[in-house]
Amino acid sequence: MNIRVIGIAVLAAVLALVPSVASEYWVGLLTQILIFGLLALSADLLLGHAGLFSLCHAAFFAVSAYTVAILQTRYGVTTIPAALAGLGAGTLLAAIFASAVRTRGVYFILITLAFGYIVWGVAHRWASFTGGDNGVTNVPPLTLAGVQIATKAHYYYFVLIVLALALALYRILTTSPFGLALRGIKSSETRMRSLGYRVGAHLYVAFVISGFYASLAGVLYIYFNRFVNPVAAGFPYSVEAILMAIIGGTGTILGPFIGSGIILILRNWVSGFFHYYTAVLGLIFIATVLWAPNGVMGLIKSLRSGNRGEGA
Amino acid sequence: MTAIVLQAINGLSLAALLFLLASGFTVTFGLMRVVNMAYGVYYLLGGYIGLTVMRATGSFELAMLVGGCAIVVLGFFVDRFLIRPIGSNHLAQVLLTVGVAFFVGEVCLAIWGGDSLKIQLPSYLRGSVELPGGIYYPKLRLALIGFGVFAALSLWLLYHKTQIGAVVRAGVDDREMVTAMGINIDLLFVLVSALASFLAGVAGVVGGAFLTLNPGAEWDILVLALVVVIVGGLGSLEGAVLGSIVVGLLDAYGRWLAPDFSYFVLFGPMAILLLFRPTGIFGKEH
Amino acid sequence: MLNLRALMFGGAVLALSVAVGVSPAEVQEKKPIKIGLLAPLTGPLASPGTEMVNGFRQYWNSVNNMAGGRKIEIVVADTTCNPDQALTQARRLALQEKVDLLVGPLCGHEGPAVAQVSAETGVPLVMDPAGADDVTKWKRTPTVIRTAVSSSQIGHPLGEYLYKDLGLRNVTFIGADYTFGHEVTLGAVKTFTDLGGKVDRIIWNPVGTKDYSTTVNSIPAGTGAVVPIVVGADRIRLFEDWFNYGMDKKHKIVASYWLHEDVLPQLDDRAVGIIGNVLHYVAGIDTPENKAFVEEHIKLYKRVPSWFAESAYTAGLWVKTALDKINGNVEDRDAFLKAMRTVEVKAPRGPVKLDAYDNPIQNVYVSKVEKVNHPVLGNILMNKPIKTYEAVSQFWTWKPEEFLARGPYKR
Repeated sequence: MNIRVIGIAVLAAVLALVPSVASEYWVGLLTQILIFGLLALSADLLLGHAGLFSLCHAAFFAVSAYTVAILQTRYGVTTIPAALAGLGAGTLLAAIFASAVRTRGVYFILITLAFGYIVWGVAHRWASFTGGDNGVTNVPPLTLAGVQIATKAHYYYFVLIVLALALALYRILTTSPFGLALRGIKSSETRMRSLGYRVGAHLYVAFVISGFYASLAGVLYIYFNRFVNPVAAGFPYSVEAILMAIIGGTGTILGPFIGSGIILILRNWVSGFFHYYTAVLGLIFIATVLWAPNGVMGLIKSLRSGNRGEGA
Repeated sequence: MTAIVLQAINGLSLAALLFLLASGFTVTFGLMRVVNMAYGVYYLLGGYIGLTVMRATGSFELAMLVGGCAIVVLGFFVDRFLIRPIGSNHLAQVLLTVGVAFFVGEVCLAIWGGDSLKIQLPSYLRGSVELPGGIYYPKLRLALIGFGVFAALSLWLLYHKTQIGAVVRAGVDDREMVTAMGINIDLLFVLVSALASFLAGVAGVVGGAFLTLNPGAEWDILVLALVVVIVGGLGSLEGAVLGSIVVGLLDAYGRWLAPDFSYFVLFGPMAILLLFRPTGIFGKEH
Repeated sequence: MLNLRALMFGGAVLALSVAVGVSPAEVQEKKPIKIGLLAPLTGPLASPGTEMVNGFRQYWNSVNNMAGGRKIEIVVADTTCNPDQALTQARRLALQEKVDLLVGPLCGHEGPAVAQVSAETGVPLVMDPAGADDVTKWKRTPTVIRTAVSSSQIGHPLGEYLYKDLGLRNVTFIGADYTFGHEVTLGAVKTFTDLGGKVDRIIWNPVGTKDYSTTVNSIPAGTGAVVPIVVGADRIRLFEDWFNYGMDKKHKIVASYWLHEDVLPQLDDRAVGIIGNVLHYVAGIDTPENKAFVEEHIKLYKRVPSWFAESAYTAGLWVKTALDKINGNVEDRDAFLKAMRTVEVKAPRGPVKLDAYDNPIQNVYVSKVEKVNHPVLGNILMNKPIKTYEAVSQFWTWKPEEFLARGPYKR
């Protein structure tokens, strides 16, 4: 049997067993890791596959979370239409912000930074609609077909299922001709252009799809947190999403989740007993760049091929 | 009318501070293609060191000198032992320098604590001068504008009228050519980077007197400096001058005339500008 | 020999238990009470966050970390002044650390997030010092009580003070543009305009505004007084620009929320004589309770406590009083909350007790900056009360129903 299939099966089994062995807190933290991992993965669709470094993915994430939260708490809309509206709103915003693909490199980074700041400003400033700093609280738990998914463990399973579908699609997408074209653009835009590819259109579509994934993370986030405030749209979240992807390994599916795990465990668990955890995070970034330039996944890969080399 | 002029001077004083930080960032990017996100923390650490020197000696000039030199040392180590080994990968540079910023930021918090600290000014910079028409204007700000103009002029002369400047400009345009000409580009990098670090450290000391120092200030100022650099065009000294002035004036007039939009005053115009002129006002494609 | 020592030890324990009125069996039975303290220890608000932890520890150390016959254990979590982080940390404390109650958070916008965790888990939350009005007005949670202050509670007396005591008829506000700033500012605007006063202008500034020159130069000529509500590093920037632009020669300044004890060391004699705050606590309150608290705090931490330290100290005192009343039986959450709601506490800030909406009824002090000579700290600036509004309710003089029907203060 293929080692990849075995790996996935083992991973799935382990993940499925977590709630029966771990405490509610760890199940919650793991759910959070998965959700932010999905956000990181969404940003990595642009970074790892198309070579674009976006700093506005928190915007789609937050707009979708806000849409769900406001529809549910203020207008009594039920889960499914609210979630669809959230996905729609985030993706629509991505379709607008995707105009940033006119630029490249550092300019792309900074234009997306500016976009992100604008959304944060609106969330903050338009208090009568967004609740300002206080945000929107007490969003009802996810309810599907009249069944409320209220416990941490149940929600965790829900996230796993959604994630499994989303990741399968992601895999199909990135291995499709479209995904290969993106990688082609990443390695040489001029070559792809001369081969007749419509580079701009490819990047535009990739941007919108990646915005859709960020919005999906936003929907999962709001039903987990049941609370959203302008921080979710802020610059630090966008940066963090990208850093998660880089630490874990860009251009891979597992990498962003590993990065999300490292950062969130540091911040949420280590911070409980070590005050200067941000410094540790800084050192991890530095160490990653110096000794694991392709992230944790790259490290694993090189170790594996190294071992194989010895055996041969 | 007086209000318009007054707000203009206000904007220019912020512009002068931003220029000190942005000029180093932009020139090092232009020459070495390095995106260094640690400039914000260079500013903060330089400021804190200056604060300690100021408290110990009471000399503001010494504070600026020591603050600047300390950052030259830090900048040298970061360049040589961290940035140099990873080559020209922007992604790695961003991650690495954000890591440096996190680490140094926490060290600053551990040493200087979380209070907002202000560097006391020497007596000749304290208070204000009375301009005609009964307007009071702070001496510090006038001095800051003067200092900014002085720094910009010196850099311009260095850049355009000296041998080193010519080599640096050639390096910005075509690195290989400079190397081929047998010029020691390594030494050049070290010099330019030292100058940029020095300016960032000095900016911190000046900023500490002007805006106060506190945890998180490194990111606030870095984001503004990035806006300056982008609006002006990456790698261009003139761009940094123009960018600083645009950002300073936008901030002052924007908050004066349209206070309701103060959250968007900078980023709104920047996003629009970049959509239509992606390389900034003076920038070239990199 | 060994036996003798054991005997002596046993005797000492016995004597000690008799002294505090519990039997040895009880001492062994009762496990410690765990309190989760949520405060920002890193980021821009690290300084008030640290004060909060210091004030809380100061109180508990002063009573040997005991309440209701049980040991008190404090678990501190860093919220970084980010509601998301506050929520996650509150969940960690509640679910993983299994704390018996939560105290915190600091930042106004973290308040609703942590209140939600209290609602989810049933762990009582003693909200301190986050000020969000909502928490004790429109969005109350049965398990949440507040021991610090509601934002607009300090705004209301100010409006009256401006109109009646200072005789002002038209003023300009400089408001911090976020929820806390809106609530304090608009609370003052409400009472001031209800009396007949006129607001010339409200200049809103985002928190973290670099440059106050634009703001001070936007003050309308001929305005009666300028009333700032500013936070964080902005406080020093406003101070500098106020004097540097000669505003002190043109305008009167009466602050609502500005010159707190933590920034006073960064200022100079120009601050002397300014009404720097209208607040429920300043360090210069002249009562034995407060003097003892302030001197002890200075001895321990070499700095004058601001309201953040006092607030956490009082939260500790309040919890201790309630726990003593229910003999430490914190597991009975209803009994604990009921005790918190009914006890009256003599805090450094003055007498405090909760109203029917779980917000303290307390004094509000108008204070002036004075120069004093302190035996340990030397010449320092100090906030001294010049007028006291006694037993101020969060609803001021309105009926609660009337206030609630009017809705929150929103910009």
